[in-house]
Amino acid sequence: MIKVVHYINQFFAQIGGEEMAHIPAERHDGEVKGPGAAFKAAFKDEAEIISTIVCGDSYFNEHLEEAKSTILAWVKELNPDVFIAGPAFNAGRYGVACGTIADAVQEELGIPAVTGMYVENPGADMFKNKVYTVPTKNSAAGARDAVSKMAPLALKLAKKEAIGASCQDNYMPNGTRVNFFEEKRGSRRAVDMLLKKLADKPFVTEYPMPDFDRVAPNPAVKDISKATIAIVTSGGIVPKGNPDHIESSNASHYGEYDITGVTDLTEATYETAHGGYDPVYANEDSDRVIPVDVLRDMEKEGIIGKLHNKFYTTVGNGTAVASSKAFAEEFSQKLLADGVDAVILTST
Amino acid sequence: MRKEFIILTNNPLVKDRLGEEFEVEFMEISYEEVLKKVRDFVYNKHELLTHPLSGSVKPNETPYKSVMVAKKPERFDLESVKIIDSAIAACPKFEFKSDKYAEEVYEDFQYIDYTLISSALPSAVAW
Amino acid sequence: MRRLELGHINITDIQFGSESKIENGVLYVDEEAVKAIVLEDERIKDCKLDIAKPGESVRITPVKDVIEPRVKVEGRGGIFPGVISKVDTVGEGKTYALKGMAVVTAGKIVGFQEGIIDMTGPGADYTPFSKLNNLVVVCEPVEGIKQHDYEPAVRFAGFRVAVYLGELARELTPDKVEVFETYGIMEGAEKLPGLPRVAYVQMLQSQGLLHDTYVYGVDAKKTLSTIMTPTEIMDGAIVSGNCVSACDKNPTYVHLNNGVVHDLFEEHGKTINFVCQIITNENVYLADKQRSSDWTAKLCRLLDLDGIVLSQEGFGNPDTDLIMNCKKIEAEGVKTVIITDEYAGRDGKSQSLADADVAADAVITGGNANQVIVLPKLDKVIGTLDYVNTIAGGNEHSLREDGTIEVEIQAITGATNETGFGYLSAR
Repeated sequence: MIKVVHYINQFFAQIGGEEMAHIPAERHDGEVKGPGAAFKAAFKDEAEIISTIVCGDSYFNEHLEEAKSTILAWVKELNPDVFIAGPAFNAGRYGVACGTIADAVQEELGIPAVTGMYVENPGADMFKNKVYTVPTKNSAAGARDAVSKMAPLALKLAKKEAIGASCQDNYMPNGTRVNFFEEKRGSRRAVDMLLKKLADKPFVTEYPMPDFDRVAPNPAVKDISKATIAIVTSGGIVPKGNPDHIESSNASHYGEYDITGVTDLTEATYETAHGGYDPVYANEDSDRVIPVDVLRDMEKEGIIGKLHNKFYTTVGNGTAVASSKAFAEEFSQKLLADGVDAVILTST
Repeated sequence: MRKEFIILTNNPLVKDRLGEEFEVEFMEISYEEVLKKVRDFVYNKHELLTHPLSGSVKPNETPYKSVMVAKKPERFDLESVKIIDSAIAACPKFEFKSDKYAEEVYEDFQYIDYTLISSALPSAVAW
Repeated sequence: MRRLELGHINITDIQFGSESKIENGVLYVDEEAVKAIVLEDERIKDCKLDIAKPGESVRITPVKDVIEPRVKVEGRGGIFPGVISKVDTVGEGKTYALKGMAVVTAGKIVGFQEGIIDMTGPGADYTPFSKLNNLVVVCEPVEGIKQHDYEPAVRFAGFRVAVYLGELARELTPDKVEVFETYGIMEGAEKLPGLPRVAYVQMLQSQGLLHDTYVYGVDAKKTLSTIMTPTEIMDGAIVSGNCVSACDKNPTYVHLNNGVVHDLFEEHGKTINFVCQIITNENVYLADKQRSSDWTAKLCRLLDLDGIVLSQEGFGNPDTDLIMNCKKIEAEGVKTVIITDEYAGRDGKSQSLADADVAADAVITGGNANQVIVLPKLDKVIGTLDYVNTIAGGNEHSLREDGTIEVEIQAITGATNETGFGYLSAR
């Protein structure tokens, strides 16, 4: 029989809501909790849940490394054929926890995993390309539907069967294109899609165009020789020692650093916190990522008006688009308040 | 108005056949390096005149590539940038086997590349 | 109103015989007569004929073109106008087609020749031509001939053989008759009031040698985007000179039996008014692309269309035409569905197209052409395996010691066709 370990949060384990979100991870061998009952029914006699792991959402996110290592040790010992996390529906921290732990189980233990959540759950954006993530409704009212899709996918993974295309095996498109034979030929599908489009009825494209977040450029700066220019980067440049502990990937915050009087970034004073590229050249000379030296020269030569005395920095590596937007919304206000005219945005 | 152009190529046949009549810059570099050379021109405000992924023979399959750019730098053309960047990005999708063919096959590759770039000439000299 | 009756002459078997004829659904082929037709062209030194039937352990490679034999029984012009028959507008009257069979031309043209049709096994699922009885014509060039001379020789030989076989059906009674009716612009608007006005915009491969398509005999790269009555293609108004990118090129068979035309006709008069077919090209010169896509968008507007289906042919360069056409036509307020295929890498993780735009929000895909497949050793090869290691999607290890072949499906004729001819897709 296929062995399954199921991960859920304190709410679905019926321990409590937000007031109990601080509880550390618990392991309940031989017990089936919350949506586990529906999974058990869906598995029939093919698989059994050998253990349910419960963790408070706040605890998981605030004690990430600790929670992860505890749970990984348990899962390693239990050695299931497949790991199921959630479904998390629209619960943001729960979704992130499901994605994080499912990804870790796959990566570190080599055990296949599946999770499920609402498409707008931030966990979906972060993990759908790493862990098979079943799209669910936005509340627990969609539990039956979620389990009916997650259970067969989990069984397929456990049996190491080939996984079909996202529309066949009900997971969110994950950046990997998978071929399959349709029931109607392409020309007929095209005509059917056109009929729907003409009637303003919903249709699903077979290839979503890459998601471009297009930003219309602002008008050119009128007189650059009078403008105050600020530097913003996702390249992770920070004062030596990374005083604000910006994460090397999936950054949770950004840093604001004063460069009054700084004319050159040196190996002794600045470095990168970024974990997604070879840091040697950035650490040697951080001007390579944010050109403070050149901008100071231009300031002196009168090419630009002034270099703003603060720069804003974060790590772009795996950082959710939603987080990046939130950072920028915040520091853009500060830039505006400080009278900055234009920003040079560098990446890596 | 006739647009003056340069053909950037690593195909010796293009140099031999078109080099007298037109400006041909021949370089002994790889297919992908030709595209990167084209990108340098585009970044330096030379408009891209032919599609860098001309032909259905895939990158890394044929070793030869010829691309036409405007001779005079005029403006930074975003459309040109988009096309050349996407073309370079497409190269690693294909298995490299440009060096695996019998001698005579290279003549065929040269000839096809020559006909592809030649197909642009009537339009290029007309406008 | 223009009306074409298309009679189906069902061919259930092909056999060699002393006299070419069709009897009880069996096509008998006089080998010598067909050879003589092929060898009319002095650029061809020799040819061999063979027959491949569905389910047989047979592999045909390298494939150049696939052609359905047809004959013009009534009405203006003849099959393949401007190519085999005299230039005359076709698409009206009565035409018979030999259904369930094709003429397949094969043999080396260039050293990186490609195109595999397996008649059985997993490869057969990927090519629509495995379901047909195929008369294969394997040609051999005279020595010292140049590729640009030899390609048309093989191209025309295929058409001559197809027309010869089509003639055998002239006096027969079709097994089935399909009727296609189209209207003039005003007539259609009056007859089908309230139905959305729809056209098919077809992009034709037009980049140079081995990459060309001919319309009434004219090289498509020298044409401006133009309008056709959709029945014209059924008489061979468009033929293929395209020998590269086996998976997503349109053999002449696909032009004759274009799926989009056929499936739009199915809805014509019911849910849509199928106004016309618009053809445009895929030239190498970027200003040509600009002009051609401007023209398709202009024609769509001029015809007061509500929607179109846009199809592609080939990889890379045509992605740019596809997106230009889509953007401009959508910008005219004409709802657009595009058909393409993908090169997403062997692992399926790369960017599928070389161009993209948000206006392309309704896409049909023929699948990822980089998908790897292992084809079993088959008992018989028609043509030669000499080129399997050099075909697109293969490598020097493709032909393995046990006789199996590991290739990307881009080596299989018609695998990811971008007129929606096949069933393959991807998500």
